[in-house]
Amino acid sequence: MVIDPSEFIPFGEWLANAVGGFVVLALVMFVAWTVIAFAFTAIRNTPKQAVSIVGGGLKRAIIEDFPRSSLRRIIGMTRLAVQEAIRNKVLIIFALFVVLLLFAGWFLDVQNDHPARLYLGFVISTSTYLLLALAMFVSAFSLPNDIKNKTIYTITTKPVRAHEIFLGRVLGFGLVGTILLILMAAVSYAFVVRGLDHKHTIETASIEWDEETGLGTGYTSVDSHHRHDFLINRNLTGDGAVGIAEVAQGHSHAIFREGDNYVLGPPTGDLLARVPVYGNLRFLDRYGRESEDGGDGGLSVGKEWTYREYIEGNTLNTAIWTFDNLSAEMFNSGAGGEEGTLPLELNLRVFRTTKGDIEGKVRGEILLVNPEKTLPPAERYSAPIPFEAEEFQTFQVDIDYSEIRRQNPSTAELEKINLFRDLVVNGKLEVHVRCRDHAQFFGMAQADLYIRAPEGSFEMNFIKCYLGIWMQLVLVTLFGVFFSTFLNGIVAMVATLSIVVMGISSGFIGEVQSGDAPGGGPIESLIRNITQQGATVDLDMGETATSVIQAMDKFYLNTMESVANLAPDFPKFNMASKVAYGYDIQLDLILKQITTTLVYFFVLLFAGYFVISSREIAA
Amino acid sequence: MSKSVDDKKDVIIETRNLSKVYKDFWGRPKVNALESLDLEVRRGEIFGLLGPNGSGKSTTIKLILGLLFPTSGQALVFDKDASDVSKNERIGYLPEESYLYKFLNAEETLDFYGRLFNMSAGRRKQRVRDLIKLIDIEWAKRRQLKEYSKGMTRRIGLAQALINDPELIVLDEPTTGLDPIGTREMKDLIVRLRDQGKTILMCSHLLADVQDVCDRIAILHQGELKEMGAVENLLSVRDITQIQAKGLSDDAQQQIRKIIEGDQADLVSMENPTTTLEDLFLSIVRDSKARPGYNRKRERDQDGSSEAETASAEASDKS
Repeated sequence: MVIDPSEFIPFGEWLANAVGGFVVLALVMFVAWTVIAFAFTAIRNTPKQAVSIVGGGLKRAIIEDFPRSSLRRIIGMTRLAVQEAIRNKVLIIFALFVVLLLFAGWFLDVQNDHPARLYLGFVISTSTYLLLALAMFVSAFSLPNDIKNKTIYTITTKPVRAHEIFLGRVLGFGLVGTILLILMAAVSYAFVVRGLDHKHTIETASIEWDEETGLGTGYTSVDSHHRHDFLINRNLTGDGAVGIAEVAQGHSHAIFREGDNYVLGPPTGDLLARVPVYGNLRFLDRYGRESEDGGDGGLSVGKEWTYREYIEGNTLNTAIWTFDNLSAEMFNSGAGGEEGTLPLELNLRVFRTTKGDIEGKVRGEILLVNPEKTLPPAERYSAPIPFEAEEFQTFQVDIDYSEIRRQNPSTAELEKINLFRDLVVNGKLEVHVRCRDHAQFFGMAQADLYIRAPEGSFEMNFIKCYLGIWMQLVLVTLFGVFFSTFLNGIVAMVATLSIVVMGISSGFIGEVQSGDAPGGGPIESLIRNITQQGATVDLDMGETATSVIQAMDKFYLNTMESVANLAPDFPKFNMASKVAYGYDIQLDLILKQITTTLVYFFVLLFAGYFVISSREIAA
Repeated sequence: MSKSVDDKKDVIIETRNLSKVYKDFWGRPKVNALESLDLEVRRGEIFGLLGPNGSGKSTTIKLILGLLFPTSGQALVFDKDASDVSKNERIGYLPEESYLYKFLNAEETLDFYGRLFNMSAGRRKQRVRDLIKLIDIEWAKRRQLKEYSKGMTRRIGLAQALINDPELIVLDEPTTGLDPIGTREMKDLIVRLRDQGKTILMCSHLLADVQDVCDRIAILHQGELKEMGAVENLLSVRDITQIQAKGLSDDAQQQIRKIIEGDQADLVSMENPTTTLEDLFLSIVRDSKARPGYNRKRERDQDGSSEAETASAEASDKS
C-alpha cells in the first residue's frame, strides 16, 4: 500500500508547520472578503459608504454579533435545515444506497483474489460519492432558494445574526448527512461481514495422511467461488484448532475436530486492522557509505514513479529503518523481552536484471542493529536473518527473540543475545535490509517495512474511515453553504464541485505547474493534441508563439495552484484503502484531519458571516 | 429640554434624507426608488404609507428593516441604525406575501420564529398557543402550510409577526388575501394593538383600510414624499364651510346665511367638509408633476416665511 510521506510526520510537528498555512488561508479569505465587499458596496453605493458599511460590519462582528450568539437560535436554524432536508426527501439517498447493495452481486467480481478489499472499497466509495453529492446539492441550493422565495425576509428581520444563519445550515445539513452516514456505515458493515462469511466442508476423500507424523493434507469444498488446501495434525487434542486452511482469497480458516470429523471455522484474516510501527528510512550505497558521507543513497531502476528506491543485490547497498520508542511491552513479550517474537512485515518490490528462474524468489537478509555508532561493529550487528521475497507479495518475518544471535568477535561463534538489552538503545533500533542475489534489486519506501504491534479492532478502523468521510461531508457542506451566500444555487454547486475537484487534483496541478508533468499547461497540451506533438519534445510553434503560450499557461497554472492550495486536500481524508488493505488508521492522521476541518470551519464561518451581513438581502 | 428628550424617545422610526438608487451590475443608476425621505413615526400611532406601484413604499419598509442599504441618508429604528440586528428584537414584520416555510405546520412555524427571538421553551409554548387562538386556526394547527388557503397563510404570517410581542409592527399590505370578515378582523386587531401601546407602520393599496385605521399617513409617488400628516387634516377641504342644522323653517332656510342665530335654530355643526382618501390619492397621482413634493413644499414654505421675516425686519429697520 502506498502511503503519502507526509503521513509519517507526527501530529505535533505537523501542527507547528501547518499553523503558518492556516494563518495564510485565514488572511487570504479575510483580504478577499474585504476587497470584494468593498468593491461591490462601492459600486452599488458610494466608496465612502462602502468604507462605512464594510468597516461598520467588522466592528459589529467583533463587538456585537459574535458575542451575542444564541444557542437557541442556532438550534432553531439547525432544526429548520434538518426539517427542510428531510421533507425534501433526502433520505431517498439511503434507499438508493440499499438498492445498490442489493444488486451489488451483479457487478462485483465474486472471484476476486481479495473480496474483502473489493467489498470494502465498494461500500466506502459508494457511501462517499452519494453523501458528498447530496451535501453539495442541499447545501448549495438551500440559501438561494430562501432568497428566491423571500422566506429569508422573515429570518433576517428577526434578531438572527448572519453567522447563526450560516451555522444553522451547516449544522442542519451536517446532521442529516451524519444520520445518513451512520445508517450507511451500519448497512455497509453488515453487507461486508455477511458477504464474506461462508462455510467450507472438508472433502474427506482428498485427505492424505502421513502415518509417521500424523499430518494430513487435503482440500475443502468449493464455496463462495474458491477452495482451500489444508493441513491437519491428528495428534493434536483438545478444543483448539487442529489444523489450518491455506490462504485463499485473502483469508484462511482454522480447522477443529468435531467427534471423528473435522470442520472449518469462520474465515479469518480478511478483516484486519494491522497496527504498523513505522521507522525512518535511509540508505547506504553499494560501498556501504551513508548519504552524509558522500553515498549515493537508494538507486533508481529507471521507473518514472519515484516513490520507491532500490538496493542492489550482493553489495553493501542497504536500506536502514530506524525505529523509535520500542519497548518489550509493546509486543507482549514480558518486561525482559525474553520470550516472543518481533513481527516484521515487508512489502518489497523485486526488480530482476537477469534471466533464470523468473518465478523463483529473491533472497534477502535482515540485520537487527544497535544504533549506537560508537560501539564496535561486532557488538552492534545481529547475525543475518534470511528471507525470500517475490513480486507484489506482502510477507511477514517473525523474529523469535530466542533466535537472535551475534557473532562473538574472538571465537567467531554465534552467541545468543537479548534484543531489548543488547540492541535496543533508549527505545531505538535499526533494521537493515540487504539483497543477497547478484544483479537483483529490492525496491522500498518508508512504509514498506514495519513492525506489527498487536492487532487493532477492524470495527474501530471501519468507524475511523467513516469519520474521514464525515469530515469530507462537513467540508463540502461548509463550502456549499459558503458559496450559496453570494451565488445562486446552480453556480454555488458548480463552485463547490470545483473546490472538490481542485482539492482532489491539487497534487497533479502542482506537478503541471512545476513542470514535473510533461506536456505543459492546458493551452500547450491542447495545441500538442491538435498538432499531434509528443509530450516530451519541445513545442514546435516558433519561438515567439511558444513563449506567449507558455506565459499564458504559467499565469493560468499559477492561479489554479493558488486556488487549489486553498482547497482542502480531500485525498488525505479518504482512508478507504487503509481499511480495505487492513491497516490501522493512526490517531495522528485523524487528529490532522480534525484540525484541518476545524480550521476550514472557522475560516468559512467568518467568511460566510461577512458575506451575508454585507449583502442586501432584498436587492 | 426634557420635552425634546421625551419627543426623541417617542420617535420610533426616523428617516433622514433617506434615498435609494437601484444600480445595475456596473454601478450605473437604474431606478431612483426613493428620494430624500424624511419622516418620523411616533410611539403608539398607526402610520400608513400610501402610494401607487413603484412609488417607493416597499423600498422604504425594506430600508427600515435593514433588508436594503440606503444609497444616502439614514434610517433609524428605536434610535439604532436600520442595519443593526438588535433592533429586530422589538419589531414584528408581516411581509407582503406570506414568505413562510411551507413544509412546517402552524405550531412548528411559530415555535421556529419564537426560537429566533431566543424565547424559552415554556414561553414559546404559551405564546404559540395564544397566537393560534388569536388567529383562530386551532383546527388546522398541525397541517403543513402548503395546505393552507391564502387567508389562513396570511393569518399565520400575522401570528409570526406578533410572536415576540413587538413594540413596533411593520405590516406590508396586511389585508391582502383576506375575505371581508377577515379584513374587518385585521383592522380591528390593528386598532387594538395600537390601543395596547404598540406602534404600527403599514402600507396598503386599499385606501379605505388606511382611512379606517391610520392616525397619520404619508403618500409617496415616484419615490418622493407628496403628503404627510394626520388623516383628518389631510382630508379636510379648507376653502369650503359646511353647516348642518336641524328644525329650520322654510323662511329661516331662506335667510340662513344672514341670521342663523337669530332664527333660534340649533347649530349642529359648522366645519370644512372632508374629501375621501381615494380622491386625495388620485389627485396627487394625477397632479404629480405639477405638485411639489412634501419636502420641497416645506422648503418653499420655509423660504417664504424667512423672506417675510427678512422683509418685516427690513421694514422695522427703516422705521
